[in-house]
Amino acid sequence: MKLNSFAKLSGVALLSALVLAGCGSKSSSTGTKKQTLNWMVPSSISTMDTSKMTDLYSSQVANATNEGLLRMGNSKVTPGVAKSYKISNGGKTWTFNLRHSKWNDGKPVTAEDFVFAWQRTVSPKTASQYAYIFGNVKNATQISAGKMSPSKLGVKADGNYKLVVTLNKPQSFFKYMVAQGYYFPQEKSIVQKYGSNYATNATKNGYNGPFILKGWNGTNDTFKLVKNPKYWDAKKVKLSTVNFQTIKDPSTALNSYQSNKLDFTTLNGTQVKQYKNNKDYHDYLEASSFYLEMNEKKDPMFKNKNIRRALSLAIDKKQFVDKVLADGSIAPKGYVPAKMSSHNGKDFADQAYVKDAVEYNLAQAKKYWAKGLKETGKKSVSLTLLSDDTDGAKKNTEFVQSQLTKLPGLKITNQNVPFKTRLSRSQNGQFDLVITAWIADYPDPSNFLDLFTSTNSQNNGKWKNAQYDALIKKSESTDANNETARWNDMVQAEKILMNDQGIVPLYQQAQSTLMQSKVKGVQFFPTSPQWAWDKASIK
Amino acid sequence: MAKYLAKRIFYIILTLFIVTTATFFLMKFMPGTPLTNQAKLTPGQIHQIYKQYGLDKPLWQQYLVYLGGVVHGNFGTSFQFSNQPVSYLIGSRMGPSLTIGGEAMVVGVLAGLVVGAIGAIKANTWVDTTATIISILGVSIPSFVLAVLLQYYLGLKLRWFPIADWGGFMYTVLPTLALAASPLAETARFMRTQMVDVLSSDYIELAKAKGMGKVGIIYHHALRNSLIPVVTIVGPLAVGIMTGSMVVENIFSIPGIGEQFVKSVLTNDYPTIMGLTIVYCAMLCVVLLITDIVYGIIDPRIRINK
Amino acid sequence: MADNAKHISAGDFKPISAEDRGNLDSEKISAPSLTFLQDSWRRFRKNKAAMIALIILIILFILAFGSNLFETHAPNATNPNLANLPPKIPGIDINGFNGTLDQSGQRINAYAQAHAGSKYFILGTDYLGRDLFSRILYGTRISLTIALVASFFDLAVGVVYGVISGWIGGWVDTFMQRIIEILLSIPNLVVIILLMVILKPGMESIIIAIALTSWINMARLIRAQTLELKNQEFVLAARTLGESSIKIGFKHLLPNLSSIIIINLMFTIPTAIFFEAFLSYIGIGVSAPQASLGTLINDGQKNFQFLPYQMWYPAIVLSLLMIAFNILGDGMRDAFDPKSRE
Repeated sequence: MKLNSFAKLSGVALLSALVLAGCGSKSSSTGTKKQTLNWMVPSSISTMDTSKMTDLYSSQVANATNEGLLRMGNSKVTPGVAKSYKISNGGKTWTFNLRHSKWNDGKPVTAEDFVFAWQRTVSPKTASQYAYIFGNVKNATQISAGKMSPSKLGVKADGNYKLVVTLNKPQSFFKYMVAQGYYFPQEKSIVQKYGSNYATNATKNGYNGPFILKGWNGTNDTFKLVKNPKYWDAKKVKLSTVNFQTIKDPSTALNSYQSNKLDFTTLNGTQVKQYKNNKDYHDYLEASSFYLEMNEKKDPMFKNKNIRRALSLAIDKKQFVDKVLADGSIAPKGYVPAKMSSHNGKDFADQAYVKDAVEYNLAQAKKYWAKGLKETGKKSVSLTLLSDDTDGAKKNTEFVQSQLTKLPGLKITNQNVPFKTRLSRSQNGQFDLVITAWIADYPDPSNFLDLFTSTNSQNNGKWKNAQYDALIKKSESTDANNETARWNDMVQAEKILMNDQGIVPLYQQAQSTLMQSKVKGVQFFPTSPQWAWDKASIK
Repeated sequence: MAKYLAKRIFYIILTLFIVTTATFFLMKFMPGTPLTNQAKLTPGQIHQIYKQYGLDKPLWQQYLVYLGGVVHGNFGTSFQFSNQPVSYLIGSRMGPSLTIGGEAMVVGVLAGLVVGAIGAIKANTWVDTTATIISILGVSIPSFVLAVLLQYYLGLKLRWFPIADWGGFMYTVLPTLALAASPLAETARFMRTQMVDVLSSDYIELAKAKGMGKVGIIYHHALRNSLIPVVTIVGPLAVGIMTGSMVVENIFSIPGIGEQFVKSVLTNDYPTIMGLTIVYCAMLCVVLLITDIVYGIIDPRIRINK
Repeated sequence: MADNAKHISAGDFKPISAEDRGNLDSEKISAPSLTFLQDSWRRFRKNKAAMIALIILIILFILAFGSNLFETHAPNATNPNLANLPPKIPGIDINGFNGTLDQSGQRINAYAQAHAGSKYFILGTDYLGRDLFSRILYGTRISLTIALVASFFDLAVGVVYGVISGWIGGWVDTFMQRIIEILLSIPNLVVIILLMVILKPGMESIIIAIALTSWINMARLIRAQTLELKNQEFVLAARTLGESSIKIGFKHLLPNLSSIIIINLMFTIPTAIFFEAFLSYIGIGVSAPQASLGTLINDGQKNFQFLPYQMWYPAIVLSLLMIAFNILGDGMRDAFDPKSRE
């Protein structure tokens, strides 16, 4: 998923959920404290309609007020509305057994609510920007292109409490996807009652999750979550209220935290430096990757590997994360982010590590550069560096520019444009170099690696490698049901990408936060929805 | 009067029509699309989404549809807040903006009048110099700098006022102060000039000659006659406040339209940009109309039949 | 009463000489003759505040446009190892100028921590380790350039529009005035923002956007003045003598409009500076690594709590510029305005 710094788009699932260890001082009056949490979000929530959500913060709230078949848990998915599930037909059929749970108005949550919601999302009439996420569900692509009726979608209710899903091809990480907002059920009677006004404010919605949304009028910046007594696992929910406040200016957010108006806030670079040793400070790695793409189609010189390697070696990623970003972000080991997925206890990033592709060595860089220039017959090159126009993105371009211009004869002009302009320019090949960010839709390396197959529309630089394509294809077909073989295919593919320096990885982003020590049990996930409060409490 | 009003309202409608048309076509030149997930959608899906928003029709048809909507107060649906009509979005966020804008206008103009009048009465003394310094500083320090300073010193350090958020009078104090500085300064400057002029006019000399007391002269003659022209600068002051609110709302986390305007610009939310542009224009037109009418009523020398 | 009238003899009279005639001239001006500009300058000089403002502006201009000479470092040279260092002036040991800052409640020597050695930055560094002093000079130059060029274009459009409208008169004037009335009721910053979104961000776009939107005031003043001048005798005389309209415009109108133009310009420049800062502040102004005072303030604002100098210095320079232009404008208006003549 494309990432932009003020609206990080939501994604699916999360693998390694992290429960914040409560290591602060114990309070003797446990349980008597007011169970109210004051939370900060940096951007307004745009809708509560899970078919229409595109931003991270809406999905965060939706994840608290509603629940899908499965639920994001600590390093795994835990039962949600589904008590259990069974995979058959070579990984193509998933059967979910639902529990008897209720919407907040007392009506039962049935399999039909899921069928209805999923059909609604893929239906062209809904114009959901997330219809693509159903791509692997049978017939979804034809339906969203308007070529088939939504009723043909590969999901069927077998009675009230059994749901059968048919996929196009086996997908081991489908379990993470059904835990995400766009696979949530929708209360059919409510959707039909409100029509196009459905979920445009807090009251025009049905909730089956741990909390109920209150006080959101559709456009306002303060609202709250209150405990949902009808939730099936309500006895485990300790917080009675989560107050949300939208604060877009980072220094305002910090000022509010300091005056105890907030129990949580995110920090930017300089603020981190001041708080690094504070007991309230925590940073969390996101399943994201920031990298530089080189347009091989527009500038044939980038077809030269020496040139590509030179650019990579010229950028000091360590200095970048330590001195410029200084917010807990880490230097990359490769393209697929660290601490996102592991197999047999080994992290993907460690297994696919190619040192040459991510290290900094200016002397080497200059050597490769001179060699590359000679091979391509150039003396000096003038390139543009495209990126977003947010403050963070400007920092990135300014740093990368200053690093790359150390290569003799290379001139870099920065182009900082709005997020959507950057996207369309990237896709239309109107750039020389572009800084792209990708945040995982689901915690599986394939979500990243798919991008650099030669036919993928996200492969902006048009880097091509037949062996890479073959490995990815193999992981999706012959090896799809064999976890180890699939894993090895992907590790190999990443190594090819890195050895050939198809892209230049820059960093993996972290979220730096302050949280009052009295707050315990808030969960963080490296992918969307990032934060969950259903296990949190105030001590 | 009726004829004058009819003419002015005709011009307002003409202005709004031109603005609507111009913004509509300008928006079509905006780079990028309003889709957040453009990258992952197939062309068929993109086409379907465009169809839903009516973006697949020829431009002139889109234009007519839009114009028809605007006449009925319908500015389309926001791209950012899905299914949320722009008119609702604007309506629900208008309150806070009007509150701080109105407060800033009242505080700014009243304080400006006092500072300006005192400056004129005590012309060429240290009092006057102080008043002049205040008014020069007021126009010279940008509202975004002032807002940050107020928030940090009065909000965080002294804890006199809430740092951010919305909900009650106390929350409006700091944003109002940040916005009021510029109208205060402008009004003070204007008032001082007016009053110095009036104080040196013949009828004041006459009143003095007739033995009228200083307080009486200032209260009965000078103040009144200097106040009238101040009405004419209310329009430009309103523009200044609108501008300032775009950053001040962001700094103080106020759920208003100024902050929303900047946000829509940065996210290509065309319907919201167009809607807000039209609303800003309409507000300014109304302010200008009202000030002209008020001016005509309180100053018998101005006739507005023409 | 007897007629005692004194007899006047012819000898009492004598023919007046040329010298006598000279002494009798009642039209003679005893003070030295001054042109309009000399006279204005004489009055301007008496205004101390305006003189100080003028001197400050001259200094700022020299610093900004000669910044290559004064810069202590290259404004865009990054050195992330020396990022966010506070101001340090050797020999001055006052907090705020000695390279120390508060970190997590302790006062630490940031330069020692960053292993900066004997290097020092008199106004500190920013988040990429760029020298703030050099960047402020550079930013001032960008801000001033934008303001001056935009004001120049806005002046050109405004003056031409005003003169044409006033000179031709009739339905052309009515039509042109209606256009102005309509434009007046559109908030110009909204238009600038829309233009900025469509144009490529950068200096040229800001100049175009500001110039396109702020000429109206100039046009109105010029038109009013032109209408007044049009009916004066010297213009009538020129017309009668068969001068072409264009020649009259340049030879007779323009010199007489010059004071209005200059005064208005003095108020347009700070407005343009403000607009530029505002656009850069909200993130649609000049693009990196270029800096203007607006972008510097925006960068500094984020860290105001910890690194207050990063906002204070650019904010002070911006305010100083605005104050100086405003005071200078006031001074010039007083100097040029015949009403304030003593």
